[in-house]
Amino acid sequence: MQIIISNSSKEPIYEQIYAQIKKLILTGELQEGQALPSMRQLAKDLEISVITTKRAYEELEKNGFIYSIVGKGSFIAEQNKEMMRERKIKVIEENLLIAIQNAKEMNLSLAELKEMLTLLYTEDA
Amino acid sequence: MVNLILKDIIIQKNTIIIYIATIILYLLVEVSPIFLGVLYSVVFIMTAFSTDDKGNANILLNSLPYTRKEVVSSKYMGALIFTSVIIFIIYLGDFFLNGKGEVFLWREILLIIGLVMVTISFILPISYKFKSKHLVMILVGLVGIYLVTITLLIPNLHDILRGFVQNFLALQETQMYFVAILITVILYIGSWLLSIRIYERKAF
Amino acid sequence: MMENVIELQHIHKSFKGFEIKDFSINVKKGFVTGFIGGNGAGKSTTIKLIMNLLKQDSGTVSVFGMDYKKHEKEIKERIGFVYDENIFYENLTLKDMKRIIKPAYKNWDDNAFQRYVNEFELPLNKSMKTFSKGMKMKASLAIALAHHAELIIMDEPTAGLDPIFRRELLNILHELMQDEDRTIFFSTHITTDLDRIADYITFVHNGEHIFTKEFYKIEEEYAIVKGTLDLLDRETEQEFISIRKTNTGFEALTADKNRVINIFGDTVIVEKPTLEDIMYYTKKGR
Repeated sequence: MQIIISNSSKEPIYEQIYAQIKKLILTGELQEGQALPSMRQLAKDLEISVITTKRAYEELEKNGFIYSIVGKGSFIAEQNKEMMRERKIKVIEENLLIAIQNAKEMNLSLAELKEMLTLLYTEDA
Repeated sequence: MVNLILKDIIIQKNTIIIYIATIILYLLVEVSPIFLGVLYSVVFIMTAFSTDDKGNANILLNSLPYTRKEVVSSKYMGALIFTSVIIFIIYLGDFFLNGKGEVFLWREILLIIGLVMVTISFILPISYKFKSKHLVMILVGLVGIYLVTITLLIPNLHDILRGFVQNFLALQETQMYFVAILITVILYIGSWLLSIRIYERKAF
Repeated sequence: MMENVIELQHIHKSFKGFEIKDFSINVKKGFVTGFIGGNGAGKSTTIKLIMNLLKQDSGTVSVFGMDYKKHEKEIKERIGFVYDENIFYENLTLKDMKRIIKPAYKNWDDNAFQRYVNEFELPLNKSMKTFSKGMKMKASLAIALAHHAELIIMDEPTAGLDPIFRRELLNILHELMQDEDRTIFFSTHITTDLDRIADYITFVHNGEHIFTKEFYKIEEEYAIVKGTLDLLDRETEQEFISIRKTNTGFEALTADKNRVINIFGDTVIVEKPTLEDIMYYTKKGR
């Protein structure tokens, strides 16, 4: 699990951790049931105080992203698959809107756009 | 507490050789073994005390799992133990150097221990109570009084003391001994308790 | 369930020219508490009270839930200490010091001691006189860890040490805090040392306990506010702990960030305060 924090950002460090772990969960990089590093281990790795990682983990737990077992650690909770799917679809829609906006600015037609899409999609596969 | 007594030896490990060497020297020039016994015992204890006092050893000792009672008691118990050891060294020294088989009569040993106990009974509580700077001044004052007494008041002080000691040793009456021992022990215990009280109140 | 390893309650202690009145603080188990305050604020006094080097005039001191009157040895068995002043016998070697200290503790672990001595690169056979301040600090730490101390009290451990060294100490402390039963109480002037390790900050000033807070809460509640002088009037000045006015504007500290944002909105710049800012402006405001 790779996490990068910025000391100079306006965002409090525990929020940065929360956001990054949440993203990893939503994008599926962290799987359900997977164990998170202990909050003390994470604090040591990131060179921050334990109470910061503790707060981040508490927030994650409060919002249902992880759960903790005393003496064993914290684990990724089962995510509502429907919600995740909906979220992902929304992200795709947003990205498409941006592409469409750019295309219109360049006077690219819908047909040309579809062609680009097909090309890129099949190329990847 | 045994460890605290051992500590007093460890912190003087470099000077112990000097002590033994100078004892031998003094024995060679036939200085009174009784005088040596008392002097070296007191010096040993008080050097350990001042080494503790100088640095921040008191802070160390009182941060370790020792009670203040133990720290003080180690000095009083230590004094008795060190005196015995020094008497033993002097006995050995005298035996080898001057060939005397029975240097010390029991009375002489008791006299040494008694004098050490009386001296310590006075010195320790004063040392615990007052800062080292003041102690030096008190010491200088006492030396001054001693010199004045010798030169002006009682020129033959040494002879008088020697005579006194010899009379004392010649005493036959056990009862007097018994009283002397009792007084010394009570004085020592009183001083011990006083030092504990003083030390328990100290702030570091 | 958060226990307090140290509890000072309603402590009164007076000295010549200085007094602590109704002073209470708690130190939570399993965390690093940074102890800050200016010179003469009462930091050394507090540490001496915790170590029973000083007795209070009234109030209670409890460590590990025990009091010193009845449990002095038990408490001290579990405490490790790193002091600002030198507490070693200068003419002795570290080996000698170990010989003196080891028998005092029931839990002494020779292997652990040797391990830390090696890790900290401390010579066993040179006199303590030759040890630099940093080495003496490491020696104290090695000793504290060799008897598996659950509570480590550090009084200005990094004063006079170079930044690389201070970073190394930080790494050591991070490693130590992997043990959730361990507590560190760390008094320091160098507040930047605390940024990366302190969980709680206890701030004292003039013998008063100003606050004990989680480190992140300080950012949430306190803020440095910068703006132009015309924004200040008798009412608005009340919002701040103290204000520094110059020809070009003002800079002030508030303990209620959200309120200030509500009042001033976009007309001011609001920034994260450093611990130094908090100390400086608190002193200014009293």
